[in-house]
Amino acid sequence: MIPDRLESNLRQGFRESLLPKLGLVLLASILIMAIFAPVLATHNPTRTGYLDENGNSYPPLGTSYTTEIGQDGEFVEVEVESTSDHLLGTNDIGQDVFSRLVYGARTSMLVGLLGTGLAVLIGVPFGLVSGYYGGRVDDVMMRIADTMLAFPSLVLALALIGVFGSAGFGIPDPLTRFGLIDGMPESTTLPGTVTVVVALVTWVWFARVARGEAMSVRNEEYVTAARSMGASNWTILFKHVLPNSLTPVIVLATIQVAAVILLESSLSFLGFSGTTLSWGYDISRGQGYQRTSWWISMVPGLGIVFAVIAVNLLGDWLRDALDPNIEGEGGGA
Amino acid sequence: MSSDDNRATSSVDAGLATGIGTDTPDGEPLVRVENLQKYFWENDSLLDRLLGDEPVAVQAVDGVSFEIREGETLGLVGESGCGKSTTGETLLRLQEPTDGRVEFAGTNVYEMEGSDLTAFRREAQVVFQDPFSSLDPRMTIGDIVQQPLDIHDVGADEERRERVRDLLERVGLSVDQLDRYPHEFSGGQRQRIGIARALALEPEFLVLDEPTSALDVSVQAQVLNLLEDLQAEFDLTYLLISHDLSVIRHICDRVAVMYLGEIVEIGPVEELFEDPKHPYTKALLESVPRATTDERERDRETLAGDVPSPRDPPSGCRFRTRCPMVIPPEDLDIDQDTYRELMTVRERIESRDISLETVGDDDQFTVEDGSVPEADIPAFVAALKRRLFDEPLPPHHDEIVETALTELAASNWEDAAAILRTEYESVCERDHPGLGNNTHSVACHLYGTAADFEGAVDPNSWRG
Ligand code: SF4
Repeated sequence: MIPDRLESNLRQGFRESLLPKLGLVLLASILIMAIFAPVLATHNPTRTGYLDENGNSYPPLGTSYTTEIGQDGEFVEVEVESTSDHLLGTNDIGQDVFSRLVYGARTSMLVGLLGTGLAVLIGVPFGLVSGYYGGRVDDVMMRIADTMLAFPSLVLALALIGVFGSAGFGIPDPLTRFGLIDGMPESTTLPGTVTVVVALVTWVWFARVARGEAMSVRNEEYVTAARSMGASNWTILFKHVLPNSLTPVIVLATIQVAAVILLESSLSFLGFSGTTLSWGYDISRGQGYQRTSWWISMVPGLGIVFAVIAVNLLGDWLRDALDPNIEGEGGGA
Repeated sequence: MSSDDNRATSSVDAGLATGIGTDTPDGEPLVRVENLQKYFWENDSLLDRLLGDEPVAVQAVDGVSFEIREGETLGLVGESGCGKSTTGETLLRLQEPTDGRVEFAGTNVYEMEGSDLTAFRREAQVVFQDPFSSLDPRMTIGDIVQQPLDIHDVGADEERRERVRDLLERVGLSVDQLDRYPHEFSGGQRQRIGIARALALEPEFLVLDEPTSALDVSVQAQVLNLLEDLQAEFDLTYLLISHDLSVIRHICDRVAVMYLGEIVEIGPVEELFEDPKHPYTKALLESVPRATTDERERDRETLAGDVPSPRDPPSGCRFRTRCPMVIPPEDLDIDQDTYRELMTVRERIESRDISLETVGDDDQFTVEDGSVPEADIPAFVAALKRRLFDEPLPPHHDEIVETALTELAASNWEDAAAILRTEYESVCERDHPGLGNNTHSVACHLYGTAADFEGAVDPNSWRG
């Protein structure tokens, strides 16, 4: 159920500000890229060797650059022109940058959504139980959560990857599997360890938010009423506390997707991701070529920036619409 | 509390004895509350323990005993914070009691387990004050009213739906609103939904916790009438918790008055309203605007002082810090109002609630480290006395007060309090007055102990 007032708040926010529209358009484009990657990509993103006759990578369409080639100790300046074959150029080993951007969106979205989802699944029940029972249970559970928070998430993530290794799982791509598209990767690699690890380092935030909500919901009279009818704690947690705690969890989850995308990129950048089709990984590829082939890291970098901006804009919009202070209705809705 | 001896403890035949001489239905008690106690603990977290802070007990309910007979409505009245709602929740076992017992139809509620407890949860229901918080905003009213049936697995799906429709109609709502959400209803309608939910399991006993105080006056009467009709129709027994005396009078058979966690007076409603005995009950009744202006209008007085904190309630009678009739020591030749003033001053000294800096005209006295220079003391004492007492005291008492205030001027708060305590100690602070077991019982020393209360001193004689 979407409460009427929430719906009208959402509409109003959408009407009155450009930002939610922008966020929606951005996120929709990224999602479309992620889902229809095999259709949109112009080349197989893992295929190497799209270089000019001198072994130079192509620049993005409409630009050119000069490069120096040492041949027999000789010094030659070569002008490299872009080609319409490779819209955003190619990277140092000749992979198509646009196609990698498109496939990178897949990895980012997969890890962002699955990682956040997993964090919600761990954090929310933890927080709800902690907040609902309170007392000693809460004391112990929140100590655990605080301990997790004491570590910077990147450090914790690296430590966990150190323990578990970085495994990836191939997810078959239906579009290529059924022969609808030729010449694209048969499956997408989900960086499994990374997904689990980002969930393990971010679930605490959900636990804290859920706990706060549970603590206020448990004092609502409808919870007391349920107890007076003889409802079990689990019934109360499931039927009353959970539904009435979800609003801020949803807002947090939206914003948290951005944090997870960033974390995944950082891990890939450092080479711990388990897949090579990732924006972070590509940024690190381009590191050595900043001066000349700037697009190699710039393009995936912009991918990250736009994804994060999109998610944050939507998160703000949701939060404003759901803000209980504006809403002024019981139950934190 | 210096004495617990006079605390009321119900004997087996108390129920029979109290049934006589009232116009309430004579029945066995359905609910029997014995010496119920509920403390909340502050400073009791893990951190506080580590830091070695002593937990502080908030004595929300402290030794409350009463009975509710089948088919009657017992009112529980008192100012907010007096523990009446906690009493209601604790006797329904929504809070664990600190001590005491509650029997429901002869069985101890706190020892119930399994099917006994399930049965109790069916038989005893509650209607809350706040119709906005008492209904889950994410559930339709159909689901809300059906919830108790779901929890207790009553009947098949279609039967439950049918019952919900009946209930909604019975409380005056239309059936086609079944799929609406609570926020689409007015306060009065929501309260009806809450009542329908409470009735779903055909309970015997309902705790009505301020059921109308969040509603508009015009709606209040409708809801009260509905509750009365339902009581007659379904043979319900009510415990009505309210701070609103007119509500109590309208609907209750008997009424118990609570002050600071204790029952100070209990009796049939007409008797208690017509002839209140406890000074607190009198004050409560007098603070209600009356339709008739009889001679009582003249000496209407609002209660002085604040309600003391339940963390550290006064010794003896808990009302003594505000009681206009607080009993002076024998052979003290002083009028009642003056004695009250003296006691109030003493309490303010005990709680250090007098500001010495502001005595006299602008900066007339310099107060350093809490005390006044030697030379200024007589003038200071005189100024302070003028501020604390409306009228000059009789010579003997004037002297005592001056010695006490002189100590105060020297910042000896303890000594000042001690002087006044030895001179003016009241029986009301030494002994805790018991409530007794009569039809109309009062916990106040003016009425002696419960046993000889009929022949007690005329309490009005203490008036100045
Ligand atoms: S016991 Fe004393 S202080 Fe208490 S109500 Fe009676 S007269 Fe007042």
